[in-house]
Amino acid sequence: MGIFKKSKNNFKPKSVVVGLDGVPFSLLANLRKSGIIPNMSSIFDNGYFGQMSVSIPEISSVSWSSFMTGKQSGEHGIYGFIDLEPGTYNMFFPNYLDIKALPLWDEIAQNGKKSVIINMPATYPAREINGALISGFVAIDINKAVSPRALVPKLNELGYRIDIDTAKARHDPELLFNDLDATLAGRQRAVDLLWQEVDWDLFIVVITGTDRLMHFLWTAYEQEDHPYHQAFLDYFTKLDDFIGQLYDRFINAGTSNLDFKKFYMLSDHGFCKINKEVYLNRWLEENGYLKFQKNPPETIMDIGSGSRVFALDPSRLYINQESRYPLGTVASSDYDQLRQELKTGLEALKSDSGDPVVKKVHFKEELFHGPYLSAAPDLVVLSNPGYDLKGKVSSSEVFGQTDLEGMHTQDDAFFYSSDGAELKSIFEAKKMIRRPF
Amino acid sequence: MEPDEIKRLTELSLTEKIEHAKSVIAEGLERFSQDALYVAWTGGKDSTTMLWLYREACRALGKPLPKTMFIDEGSVFEEIWELVEQVKNLWNVEVAVVKNTDVSAKAEKMGDLIRVADLNPRNRAEVAKLEFNDESFPFEPESFVGNHLMKTVAMNVFLEDKAVKALSTAIRWDEQQARVKEQAFSPRANPEHIRIHPILHFKERDIWDTIHANKIPYCSLYCQGYRSLGAKGSTFKNSDIPAWEQDLENTTERAGRGQAKEQVMEKLRDLGYM
Repeated sequence: MGIFKKSKNNFKPKSVVVGLDGVPFSLLANLRKSGIIPNMSSIFDNGYFGQMSVSIPEISSVSWSSFMTGKQSGEHGIYGFIDLEPGTYNMFFPNYLDIKALPLWDEIAQNGKKSVIINMPATYPAREINGALISGFVAIDINKAVSPRALVPKLNELGYRIDIDTAKARHDPELLFNDLDATLAGRQRAVDLLWQEVDWDLFIVVITGTDRLMHFLWTAYEQEDHPYHQAFLDYFTKLDDFIGQLYDRFINAGTSNLDFKKFYMLSDHGFCKINKEVYLNRWLEENGYLKFQKNPPETIMDIGSGSRVFALDPSRLYINQESRYPLGTVASSDYDQLRQELKTGLEALKSDSGDPVVKKVHFKEELFHGPYLSAAPDLVVLSNPGYDLKGKVSSSEVFGQTDLEGMHTQDDAFFYSSDGAELKSIFEAKKMIRRPF
Repeated sequence: MEPDEIKRLTELSLTEKIEHAKSVIAEGLERFSQDALYVAWTGGKDSTTMLWLYREACRALGKPLPKTMFIDEGSVFEEIWELVEQVKNLWNVEVAVVKNTDVSAKAEKMGDLIRVADLNPRNRAEVAKLEFNDESFPFEPESFVGNHLMKTVAMNVFLEDKAVKALSTAIRWDEQQARVKEQAFSPRANPEHIRIHPILHFKERDIWDTIHANKIPYCSLYCQGYRSLGAKGSTFKNSDIPAWEQDLENTTERAGRGQAKEQVMEKLRDLGYM
């Protein structure tokens, strides 16, 4: 019996996907050269390893939602971490309940395939899947982040943590590295548990500590004399151990037929150093497009009469149309001209040092299509590297700086496949991964 | 409403504000019959103050107090029920409790998943209107779907069934500027009716001053530091001192509402969003 079962298993397709949140192609290529990530390096030697572009805006909730559904925002309905209830300025936080397209694992479940999904952003609150799901960012309560619920006490026992303590770690590098290690170790134990516990066909684990580290301490990567330079590299070496173990356990163990095993890795966006943060709402105010009812405003709900345009994080512009919003002022006959005017204005925006800030202003129909197009921002701005766009409402200047050091990039994510299949856009990943199932 | 008029009304003295509110109420009572006008009562400070104003106006005019509508969205504080019971007996108020039982009967507790297919046709149609295509949604009154079904739909069905022509609510201009378009009498569609807003021009401070000066009963949660009351599972204290002793002018009244939202915002802020 045992022999039959085993040999049958050899021809059963199995895939493992490791997500590395925010990790740039260029960074891995660099660390590979300097020997910091030997396991990944030898993994990359076999298969395809290349640069990949992601969603616009280039943020985790949109990008991972696009990964898991293979669709863009007009079809899956997720445009950002924050959105407005239709016809109002009331903010809500789109979550897993708001995704309108079927994720990879639910689709293959229709063929009876089981998945283990660990720490996938934009899957909170967790809902039942064929297998096991642990939600990632922005998960608040572990009790709502795990399906089946019976796993919660086990994960608690293992010291599993959804995320590092970002509030504290942002200002305390020692605590940051301790938390990164503890969270990675907990993730490892969850992998060990579910690897055994579930008879899975698809196994996905996402590491989000990378994104936190690069937001808070990007300069520690770039500057060799930075006090935390070594700690930064050490974290990637620990990550490399984690990936090496996972890969060995999957590919090298047993006698299975390699044609039926696929190992993928990818990130949801890249990273680069922040030169300046750019506050779009302030730019709109200074150019007469936006007024707030109080000073300082707290949220976009404090928008005042006479406003024509407003922005939501990180780079989404909304025309305050008469027909759409309670304080709307823009007639539909003026819509096209206003959009053109904004595009021209923003594409001409220069920093103090004379750099062009904006790479391209996209009209919504250039990026999005599908049943949820009506909820799309009217324009989305893509910046040049170094200029981190923000939808923050209370700023006295267009340009500023905070303690955050790293920002996302749209064209420098990465993709790896063990079978050598090339992939250049995150929107194509789902189709590729689901093929064997 | 014109900005100048809003400014004038919100800067009146409290006595003048109360008189203005009573004149709005008197006009409403004149325009709508006893059966066609309901007062929306939540047990909170604003709507209880509004109800007191109705009582005063009705006594002066020799008219009966209008009936009230109370929405039970499935997660009402015990302290709110106590206040409603107390005021109901004290002022002899007729209360219609409105609840979307088709939805609430399908959940045992907050967070339970409700299958859309199990709902009645009206609720199913309402879910479809939200462009919500999932098979199920969690029973949480302050979530997008939950809020719509347990509050808006519950209310609309009641307004339709009772052929309500006018509903008086206790919204105030100072809560958010998106309310500047609201007037004392604002028409609504689906179902068609008039909203009467007698206390639009009151500020949060005016409400407490009116309550204390006239010994209007209020919910005990305000003594504990709550400033704005919503569903039980998602409303938190703003502070440990009584609501009226807090810095009403410089802090946010509704900060204690929707705590899960607050936690999400915190997480996002840590990474540079918001």
